[in-house]
Amino acid sequence: MIAEKGRGERLRLRLLFTGPTLFAFVTVMIIPFLFGIYLTFTNWDGISTTHTFVALQNYGSVFKDAEFWKSFVLTLKYVFATVVLINIVAFLLAYVLTSGLKGQSFFRAGFFVPNLVGGIMLGFVWQFIFSNVLVYFGQKYHLPWLQASWLVTPDKAMWTMIVVTVWQYSGYMMVIYVAGLMNVPKDILEASSIDGASSLARLVKIVLPLTIPSFIVCVFLSLQRGFMVYDLNISLTKGGPFKSTEMVSMHVYQKAFLSRDYGVGQAEALILFLLVAVITLIQVYYSKKMEVEA
Amino acid sequence: MNKRRGLQTLAAGVALGMVVTGCSSTGSSKESASTDVAKATASATAAAQSGKEVKITLLNSKGEIQAQMEEAAKTFKQDNPNITLEVLPVPAGQSPFERASALYASGNPATITMLDPADVSKFKDRILDLSGEKWVTDAVDKSLDTKTTDGKVMAFPFSVEGYGFIYSKPILDKAVGGTFDPGTIKTTNDLEGLFKKIEASGVAPLVISPMDWSLGAHYLELAYAAQSPDTAKVAAYIDQLKAGKGDLGHNAVFNGLMNTFDVMTKYNLDKVSPLTGVYERGPEVLGKGQAGIWFMGNWAWPNIKSSDTAKAQYGFLPVPVSNNPDDFGNTQITASVSKRLVLDKEHSTPEQQAAAKKFLEWMVYEKNGQDFVVNKASIIPAFKNNKLEPQDPLAKSIMDYIARGKTMESVPTLPADHWAKNGASMQKYLAKAGDRAVLVKEIEDYWKSVK
Repeated sequence: MIAEKGRGERLRLRLLFTGPTLFAFVTVMIIPFLFGIYLTFTNWDGISTTHTFVALQNYGSVFKDAEFWKSFVLTLKYVFATVVLINIVAFLLAYVLTSGLKGQSFFRAGFFVPNLVGGIMLGFVWQFIFSNVLVYFGQKYHLPWLQASWLVTPDKAMWTMIVVTVWQYSGYMMVIYVAGLMNVPKDILEASSIDGASSLARLVKIVLPLTIPSFIVCVFLSLQRGFMVYDLNISLTKGGPFKSTEMVSMHVYQKAFLSRDYGVGQAEALILFLLVAVITLIQVYYSKKMEVEA
Repeated sequence: MNKRRGLQTLAAGVALGMVVTGCSSTGSSKESASTDVAKATASATAAAQSGKEVKITLLNSKGEIQAQMEEAAKTFKQDNPNITLEVLPVPAGQSPFERASALYASGNPATITMLDPADVSKFKDRILDLSGEKWVTDAVDKSLDTKTTDGKVMAFPFSVEGYGFIYSKPILDKAVGGTFDPGTIKTTNDLEGLFKKIEASGVAPLVISPMDWSLGAHYLELAYAAQSPDTAKVAAYIDQLKAGKGDLGHNAVFNGLMNTFDVMTKYNLDKVSPLTGVYERGPEVLGKGQAGIWFMGNWAWPNIKSSDTAKAQYGFLPVPVSNNPDDFGNTQITASVSKRLVLDKEHSTPEQQAAAKKFLEWMVYEKNGQDFVVNKASIIPAFKNNKLEPQDPLAKSIMDYIARGKTMESVPTLPADHWAKNGASMQKYLAKAGDRAVLVKEIEDYWKSVK
């Protein structure tokens, strides 16, 4: 129907439907993004009425900012640990909760709930658990590894971040895996069990290959969320103790808004954007190749 | 319909523009600012008579007095029926600078903005020069921001705050056996002796709150502020640090201050796990009498009050930086302006500016304004003419130090991220995850990275 009309008419009709969204998208995403790129070439501090063009100086500072790269490496470690753990836990939960367990809908809902709590609240709740509740139990039952708050030693504080992230997102990813697992054709599974395949063989040879699309989505989502973590970081550990858990997003924010160095902060944000885009695109590209047809 | 509304807005805008230009042309630029105010105020009054009202806004970055500020706006409205003051809070989690710059970026800044002192100079292109205001002559010594803004007064000193060791008098009385005299603590050794006595009386000597802002912005700042009573020399030392020539490791004041810190960590209530504590723990243990001393400032009074068992008998002790009682810093506590108000000149009409200036004068000279500052908001005013006595013991103690001239000025030019970065280094030192050499190196590296 659309094709029958003239070019101008078609454009008008399209703009009628996509226009409002397009307008919002351009004004709140595209323009700020481009303006942000422009700011990386200036030395603006966020408030002064003038700023000068400094060419690539800010990018030079990014490569000299050792803390940025330190926090980037730290974030890589965090992302690696969370992506692996979230997906293992989520898949196992989904596998158990699609096996016909009694009350499985109830459990599915239960595991999903943490995802409904906002990151900031979550951080405060877990801060209380790690520095008060667990310490209390540690002292009561004389468990040496729980007697001091985990939040005050750098390595353990890192693990608190990982534990809370896994707890928060595995329920969400579980829902995606549940959908993937339900789409595995029952006839193939039946045929394989008639052929005498063990349940492990069925999992490895049939279920896993057929749930690759779910893995792609879940790994992508957990990668992206891991790199962008900020709210949990600021509310649970505040980057501490002594900056040992300051993730890269937090560092960028601090650079721009605390050190009042908009140009360098923006440049770091842009470099972070490019790095994350490259990593996730590689992930999607290669895992797409692993997809199979039933 | 829409078109017509657009036309109306345009017409209103043109009319407003005419009013603005009309007003500004009456005030010749050669006249002093105060007569300018008088004229603009007169025109504001004229506006009131013709039924027009001036509406001004204030961005409040002192969250704990938001309710009192709103109350003050109502009282101010009663005193000045033609001026409506709206108090906007800075949302929790945002810094005043961030909020104010966002408002400027959106072209909608508050008429009056409450800033941290270090940020004022960043706004200097956008705010009014207040050098000619009447209150300038009544401000207490060192409270104006002339050093950071090329000799001009660009900001109104809103509140004075001070910090040091807060002590609980009943506990210290018991420890020393008699009445404790804060004048007896003049050296690090005196302090350690006091800690020993408190410990012997069965109470923890002190609690160190390990927040980065407390350690970085307040404790470490003493190392710069106590360099010299002459603030020019302090500024010179900071310039040396920036140039990488400060040699902090051999600086007597810094080392003396950190020696005191070592003594503090030795007698710290939380020494088993020094980084666990949160801010709320400090006022609780001090108020309940579980510790005798806490390093903090007078803003903590409402928190201490809620768990107070010492019948509001608290005071301040200086933080000693050496074992020579005559050294600067050993008998002084830090007291400085903690918030400043600036007036926007870019987007505010002359009427709004005059109304805003009137609000500043109201706080300094009017009875209701003075009452708001001292009694309602528990703020230590930066003006000599305000003779009201603060009610809380910590403010009283600071007023006493100010009256005796025993105060140090905090360094107004510390970079905005100084507290966060060096606070982390101080936490590392407190947790014994790094020794003094590491601390010195981190602080020196920080200063070298400052542009």
